[in-house]
Order: sequence, then C-alpha cells, then structure tokens
Amino acid sequence: MSARYGMVIDLDRCTGCGACMVACAAENNVPPLPARATDRTGLTPMLVHKVNNGLEGAGRREAFIPIACMHCANETPCVSVCPQQAVEVDKATGIVMQIPQRCLGCRYCMTACPYHARYFNWWDPSWPPGMEKTLNPGVATRMRGVVEKCNLCHARLHTAMEKAAAEGKKEIEMTDYIPACVEACPTNAIQFGDLANPDDPASQAAHSPETFRLLARLGTEPKIYYKSRQPWVRALAERSASGHATEGQHV
Amino acid sequence: MKVSRRDLLLGTAGLTAGIFFTPVPWKVLDDVSIWTQNWAWIPQPPRGPVTTKLAACTLCPSGCSLRVRMAGGFPVGVSGSPAHPLTKGALCPLGFAAHQLNWHPARLQEVRHQGRAASWEEARSAFEKACAEGPIAIVDGRSGRAASIVLQSFAAKHKASYDALRNAEEKSLAPYAKWANVSVSSLGYDLENVRTIVSFGAPLLDGWGVPGRFTHLWAERAAGESDPQLRLIQIEPKLSRTASGAWRWIPICQGSEELLAASLASVLIEEHLVPAQGPVPPASVTDAASQTGLTPAAIRELARAIVDRKPVLCISDGESPAIAALNLLLGAVGTPGGILPKSGHPLPMPPASANDKPLRAVLIDSTVPWEYVAPEGAEAFRFAAWDGGGSRAEWLLPAPGFLEELSDLPSPPTCAVATYAVAPNLLSTSAQTKTAAEFLLQIDPTLPAIDQTIRARCEEIFRARRGTVHAAKPASIASFESAAKLEQALRDGGVWLDDPPAHSPLKCSLREWPGNSGNRAPANWATTWAQPVLPPLAAKLYQESSLRETPQRSQS
Repeated sequence: MSARYGMVIDLDRCTGCGACMVACAAENNVPPLPARATDRTGLTPMLVHKVNNGLEGAGRREAFIPIACMHCANETPCVSVCPQQAVEVDKATGIVMQIPQRCLGCRYCMTACPYHARYFNWWDPSWPPGMEKTLNPGVATRMRGVVEKCNLCHARLHTAMEKAAAEGKKEIEMTDYIPACVEACPTNAIQFGDLANPDDPASQAAHSPETFRLLARLGTEPKIYYKSRQPWVRALAERSASGHATEGQHV
Repeated sequence: MKVSRRDLLLGTAGLTAGIFFTPVPWKVLDDVSIWTQNWAWIPQPPRGPVTTKLAACTLCPSGCSLRVRMAGGFPVGVSGSPAHPLTKGALCPLGFAAHQLNWHPARLQEVRHQGRAASWEEARSAFEKACAEGPIAIVDGRSGRAASIVLQSFAAKHKASYDALRNAEEKSLAPYAKWANVSVSSLGYDLENVRTIVSFGAPLLDGWGVPGRFTHLWAERAAGESDPQLRLIQIEPKLSRTASGAWRWIPICQGSEELLAASLASVLIEEHLVPAQGPVPPASVTDAASQTGLTPAAIRELARAIVDRKPVLCISDGESPAIAALNLLLGAVGTPGGILPKSGHPLPMPPASANDKPLRAVLIDSTVPWEYVAPEGAEAFRFAAWDGGGSRAEWLLPAPGFLEELSDLPSPPTCAVATYAVAPNLLSTSAQTKTAAEFLLQIDPTLPAIDQTIRARCEEIFRARRGTVHAAKPASIASFESAAKLEQALRDGGVWLDDPPAHSPLKCSLREWPGNSGNRAPANWATTWAQPVLPPLAAKLYQESSLRETPQRSQS
C-alpha cells in the first residue's frame, strides 16, 4: 500500500455551517472544553476561518476557509522540530501522524506549523457524567499536556484496512475510508482521495489549474488543496502563495 | 582488586553516560508517558461490536435520516443517511453531536413542581383537576405527528383548545393557505424547478427548511458561478451566510422588506414586466427608496433582474402577506418552480381550535420552543427533555431525549412533495420520562395510541399505491406485499416519498394589497432559544471559533 491521501476543498461551496468541525470533534473524541476555552486555547483539528474581500456595502463578500493539518509532504516542519519523534509521516499513506504517548507538550511543533493547525490540550478530557458512553470506541482519549491535530480520521483508515484484510484484499476501497469532515459536508465541498492515484477524482481535481495551496511558497508540499472561482479568494491565496499582498483584502 | 573512590565515581559516570546509549531511558520515558495518560479517571470509550442502525432525527421538523453507530448499546456516532431523498446525507452541525444530548447537564431527570421535586402522580392529579375546572389549552410545536393526534383527540374530547405553533418556514406559507383556504401543511416550495429565488431575509443556506435540500441545489447550480443556473438574490440588512453565497446581495434597512416587495410589484406592473392582475400596491418607488436605503434606480433595476430568468420565487422569513402577494403577481403560486400543493397528501390534519377565554391551565408539548410564554394566569405543564431556562412553568415534566421516543415524521415544512418516516426509539427511556401523549393516554386510555396511528398511516400509504420508499435501495410502494412490510421498512429507517405533484391548481384570490405585517426578529438557531440547549461540542462553533454568534455576542 503506497498512497498519498489528501483533500481538495471547494471554497465556493463552503457555507461555513461548521458541520465539519462538530463531526470531526465527535469522531475523534475531542472533549467539550471548559467555558473559559477560546479560539486560542480550544481544540479544533478542523477550524473554519471566515475571510472577507475588504469592501464595504453591497460589494462586500465573505468566504469560509476550512483549515486542518495540511499533511505536508516535503520537509514537514512539525516532524523536523519534534525532540520526541512524536510526529511521523506515514510513508504508506502520507498522513502526518501525531503520537500523543510520545509527546512531551513542548509545543515546538505548534510554533513550527505555518498553518496554525496544531492545538495544545490544556485540560484533562472530561465529559458530563454518562456522556463517556457516547465516545467513539475506535479512538483513544488524550491526556492534557499533549499536542493534537487532524490525522485524517486514522481510525477510519484502520477500519477500512481491517475490512480489506478480512476480504483478502491488499488495498482498501476508497468508499470505506471517508474522513468525518468529508462525510459531514452538506454541499460536498470537500473531496478526499488518493492524490498518488491518477484515476482518483480527488487527484484529478487537485491537479487541475483551478486549485491552489496555502503558503505554497514555503515548499512544504501540503496535501490539502483549495479551489475557488472568486477572484478575490484566489488573490488571497496568491498572497499566501507568492508573498505579494493585494491591498484591501483582509484575512 | 581494590576499588578506589575514583574508580567508583568513574564507573558511575560511565554507567550514567552509557545508559543513554541503551533503550532503557527511552523505554522508561515512553512507559511513563503512557502510564500518565491512562489514569483511572480518564474516560475510556465503550467496548463492544460496532453496529450501524438507521434512524431519524426528531430535533426539528425536518426529520433528517440518520446513520447511528452503536457500541455497547449506546450511540457513538451520528451521520446523515445518503438514502434520504431530500437531505441526501446532509445534517445540520448540531445533528452530528446530538447523540451526546441525552447526557447534557441540563437534562431533566425528575418531575419538578415550582422548582421542587414531585411525582408523576401529583402532576397527573393536578392536571386532572385543572381539566375538571377548565378551560385548558394544549400547545403543540410540531403538528401532524401521531403524537399530535393524541393531543388533538384529548383536546376535542375534553373541550380544550389545541394550538399548533408554526415555525418561520411554515409561517411564510400561511398567506397562501389563507387565500386558497387550505392548510399550511399541504403547501410547499418547488425549489427544484425554480431559476431565480428572491429571498427576503430567509436563511436559505443556514438551516432553512430541510438541511441539504436547498444547499445541494445551490452547490450544484449556483456556487461560485458568475452567471449561475439558479440565481439567488438575498435581500437582507446583514451580510449573512446566505447573502455571502448569493448571486446578488441587496442590503436594505431592517424592517423595510415588505415595502420593497410592494414597490417591486408596482415597478413590475408599471413597466409591464408581468401581466397586470390583482390589486395594485399602494407603495411608490420614491417612498420605498427613502425607507429601504436603496435608490429608485436600484429598485427598478432589481425588479427587471428578478423577472429576467423565470420561474421566479420569492421567499420570506416568516409570515409576510406583501411578499406572498408579490409571488402571486409573478405567477409563482400553483405553478412549477413556485408554491405547490402537495398532491395526494395522505395525512390531512384538522385545523387548530382557538380559545379566547382566560385559561385555567396549559399543557405544553416538548416540541414547543422555550421562548413560548404560557398565557398569564394559566398553570403551565411543560414537557421537556432539557431545561431550557426561558419562561418558567409550574410543572416541568421530563420527556424522552434524542432517539428515546418512537415518533413519526410527516412532510417537513417547505417540502412540495409529501414524505413520511418513522423515528424508532433506539435507546430505552428512563422510567422517569414520559411524552405528553403518553401522559394524556394514561389519563384517557381511549385515545388513539401512537403505534395504532403509525400503523393506520402506513396502511393509508399502502392503499394509495403511490410513491417510493427510500432505504438502502429505493423500492416503489407497489413492490410491498402488505402494509405491515411497508411499516417495517419505515421503522427500519426508510423514508416514503410521494410521486411528484400533478400541479393541481391552487386558486388564491386577493382583493387588495396586504398591509405591512411589522418588523420581525432575524431567525437564528443560536438566538431563538431562551437558553440554547446544544450538544456540548457545538461550543466548537461559537466558543472555540468565531464561526457563529452566541446569543450574548449577537445581542451586543
């Protein structure tokens, strides 16, 4: 098995409903945090950001950019800084894995991540009494003091691999491995697939000229692609891609 | 061999340095890490085989189909079922964490009378006493269900009034129902065939109607296109999610929507853009311009843009006769791509009865939102699964929570084609909980039981021989051997969808242009509840991100 899993997110289709964020948290046993948690201290492996075109009045428009771990393929910044080898790039899947048991909580990786896609677990996981019965049995809970991030719903990949093995197959069926955010999107804005497989629709979409990657100039080869036909959204991305800012646009 | 102090120190230093070249410290560190992450008090996921069951969401009238993953007898994950013909697998954000709601700290665990613990017997005798003294009212937040038949039958038998509350989507259809003299539940929007939608503040991309129905259409036909197949014109003071995704956003002053609708109608008539029929609106473009904040030229241009691509459908946020009258002028009533009656709608409901006398008591079903305020002086018996704060009631009666109640789901509001589904109770209910229907059935066992009503409705659908049951594989009604098998298919998570309507005429008559119905508060799920009882993970949306506004944020 040698795949390169990734996503293509159509920003024009994103309504900012947040279903992906809630589905991700429920799937990965992310606990409800205390009331003092904020967007800086929260745990949101998938976070939808709101951006605008900087205009006022009827010309003003907003767009929503879902950001998760980009699963960088080249010189993955979080891997190179981790003193504990708690971050690994799985060669078989291309998924950047976070191993909480090894994590010391030094947060170097959070500093190194150019996408701010990593979150520090400030609190012990706790649920209201009885609610732990609703936890996903495929995912272990994590203690406080470790860094968390998107792992492309690795538990679902395991389930798909077990199913394939039970059927005597070496490769999984892509219909058996769909991350929670992809499944939750009500407008099918997120395409998921094997970017190394030229026949995969997600791979074809990723390689179309309409797509772009955030902070592409860093050369980390993220595996999350975006697309939009809105010129101002593309201009924002180009700013992040080339380093040239376009006046009047704000993230 | 004599070991000197120097040898001892050298040996110790060598051992200390050398140990780092062995796996021992790293293994110890690893084990300590694992050990410290597995304290006894850290919650562990349940064990047991994972199975998937189909169900239906009862949190709102949309009735989205669910795929529920179960482990150890408890739901451990919820996702939408792609088999549902309208939602196509979509769910609202709350649906994905709804399985946690049953353990919400605000869950009502016991009968409470004026804040103190009480028993069901006390509640029952108090209600029976109120019934005897009368008059009483029964308030239902979601009419049309089998449970609603129980509430209605009790009201009819005990000379009580039955009040069916309507949500904003249903209210938007109320003017047509009034003009055509039909029930609101028999009307719906034919969104699939429309080419231009003019939304007067309706949150079409933010939970309006059935989640997924419009968003799918918008994603396929409009998203990101400069000249989309489906034009969405959003008229709204604020740049909402829907406005951001619209082909055009027309910002106007709050509360001037109806005046703008009237002025658009007068431009359409004046410029012969529609065949002149019916009453002429009294609004002038100049007046509308001064109150809406638009220029007269912009209003005229908007009127021309609206009729540029037909069919056109105007949708209001709540009841708005002026916007309904604009639809009438545009010919959007009773035609494809407009407002259609559900043909062969098999679940007719008798109209609600009203009572103007001061009430002795009011029984409030658990489907009634917490912002509902019971009439002054009436003893309130409120059923609820969660304590939503809001208006207090003398009696708080714990109702079953998510997936704990057998219920049925008739056609959701706004849907032009009739549907029917059954929401099975995947979880056993606590002995302390009762639905309002169960409570009334205990008082009067001669009322029609919910099981019987569901069975009767399945038999009615089976006899009509219309439509398709959408489950893992769609099956036409004709392929079912008996009504019992149809009922079983629906209880297993299937959704019955009627055949498309045969466009039976909907005759609406309007003698004069309707007046302004007044300002309306914006609809927002985060603000409509007195104290939102949301799944704890919903905090990801409004607390751990700035994606949605909390009630506090939106008020400030």
